[in-house]
Amino acid sequence: MNLTREQVAALAAAVELDIPEPDLDGVTIRVSALLSAMKAIEDELGADMDAVDPVPPIFPREDF
Amino acid sequence: MTNDIALMSAAEQGQLIRTRALSPVELMRACLDRIERHDPILRAYITVCADSALEQARQAEREIAAGQYRGPLHGIPFGVKDQLCTRGIRTTLGSRIMADYVPDRDATAIVRLKAAGAILIGKENLHEFGKGGTHVFPYGQPRNPWNIEHNPAGSSSGSGIAVACGFSSGSLGEDTGGSIRSPAAANGVVGMRPTFGRVSRHGGVMYGWTADTIGPITRSVEDNALFLQTIAGHDAEDPLSSTRPVPDYVSEMRGGVRGLRLAVVREMTWPDGVSPEVRSAMERAIVVLRELGAIISEISLKLAKHAVPLLMLTSDSDIASMMLKRWLRTRWNDFDTGTRSRLAAGCLIPAAVYHRAMRARVLVRREILDALAGCDALLSPTNLNPPGRIDAARETVGSAGDMQNKVLLRRISTYPFSMANVPAIAVPAGQSARGLPISLQIAAKPFDESCALRVAYAYEQATPWHQRHPDLTAIEADAKRLTRSNP
Repeated sequence: MNLTREQVAALAAAVELDIPEPDLDGVTIRVSALLSAMKAIEDELGADMDAVDPVPPIFPREDF
Repeated sequence: MTNDIALMSAAEQGQLIRTRALSPVELMRACLDRIERHDPILRAYITVCADSALEQARQAEREIAAGQYRGPLHGIPFGVKDQLCTRGIRTTLGSRIMADYVPDRDATAIVRLKAAGAILIGKENLHEFGKGGTHVFPYGQPRNPWNIEHNPAGSSSGSGIAVACGFSSGSLGEDTGGSIRSPAAANGVVGMRPTFGRVSRHGGVMYGWTADTIGPITRSVEDNALFLQTIAGHDAEDPLSSTRPVPDYVSEMRGGVRGLRLAVVREMTWPDGVSPEVRSAMERAIVVLRELGAIISEISLKLAKHAVPLLMLTSDSDIASMMLKRWLRTRWNDFDTGTRSRLAAGCLIPAAVYHRAMRARVLVRREILDALAGCDALLSPTNLNPPGRIDAARETVGSAGDMQNKVLLRRISTYPFSMANVPAIAVPAGQSARGLPISLQIAAKPFDESCALRVAYAYEQATPWHQRHPDLTAIEADAKRLTRSNP
């Protein structure tokens, strides 16, 4: 997923964050890479993800 | 055992203090002298509490002389990553933004170390806000004491350096994705990320609430057990801290590995990008553990590769959400460029994606827990490469390839265990041809820090790596050479 600089600037504006021009490319690359990784994870695990609930970081005492 | 008191293990120092063969004041002065001489180059510390540390050392000496010995950490100097609150002492988080922040309380882990008689010597340098990827360090560039042109890793950079150099007898670090284990590995010392909930997070300025942990960095496995013993346990101030009892780590550590089932994680040990030297060190470590009686197998964790993006999609977003309103909108230019780019990306992850990532995390964690159900511990290198040069280690992201190679791939060996919230320890396991440390990582079942310590201790006792220390006499000449070549 390759977002454009304009798309990233618009996303940032939605949370009232003004990313200065010199930093926009770096942020665009980072967000694009993370969303691409998530798309690949959805493709591989999406059905399994539908079947679980997010759990808190602590461990149930009965299990460990 | 070394004759240099500052480089002895904390356990050895404690034994000498107990028998009054070593004065806490003498030990404190030895550490402070080292800091004064070498830290202008290495930059392990942001704040050194010399006067208060010496006063407390004198107090410890009086208490012990009066028969009021508190235990093995009485009179032992410790440092803390400058991410943990210290009452009356500024806590910068390695950021210009927090330069004037002076908390009115100590973090719980610090309260417990002080109650055991340990003495705070100073606040240690770190990547900004404990996030990896700082380009320019406002409080000085931390340098690897084994070669000052190389990276000490992070984010608990100063904590790793200080322990390796005898600037303290132990340190407290903070680990979200690998920030205790990675600098411990890069500096040739021992670092433990405990199970989430084993050590109170109260008083740590850390907003990655699903993965942040506080743990010890030490020169030996026994010291690690001693420090963990002191800081572990329930704390009413941290509702996610566990109420289960804390074992006797030092006793359980000595159980040996005969008959233990250890599994080498294929995807975290032999992936593309692992250096030949780390590969060789791992092969030798496996031989050592097998000769000690462990039963070694290899296991595949096919989902481990997803841990890095998933933790960034979620924990980075958690942290960024706290930074956005407070500082990111208004003080953008006061952040380091690496920090602000990473935090901005975290701010822009849509909620729908964040919540899907949280579900995916369950699957990655489940795979690791299933693997641990079939063995006693998992093995991998802590870092896939010996520490690189400082300039090459900077996470400058100018392309998708940079993001993949500089940010995501290099974290593959530590993030999976963070995501699983299990304990993992880094222990020295060799040196590269250039004399830079290589490290073995051992992960165990939730709340089974004893097992991780047991494997680490057996390995440590069978190998020489923990007895080696950086040559600090050489770094002054190296620093002069660096200055001449980069005036």
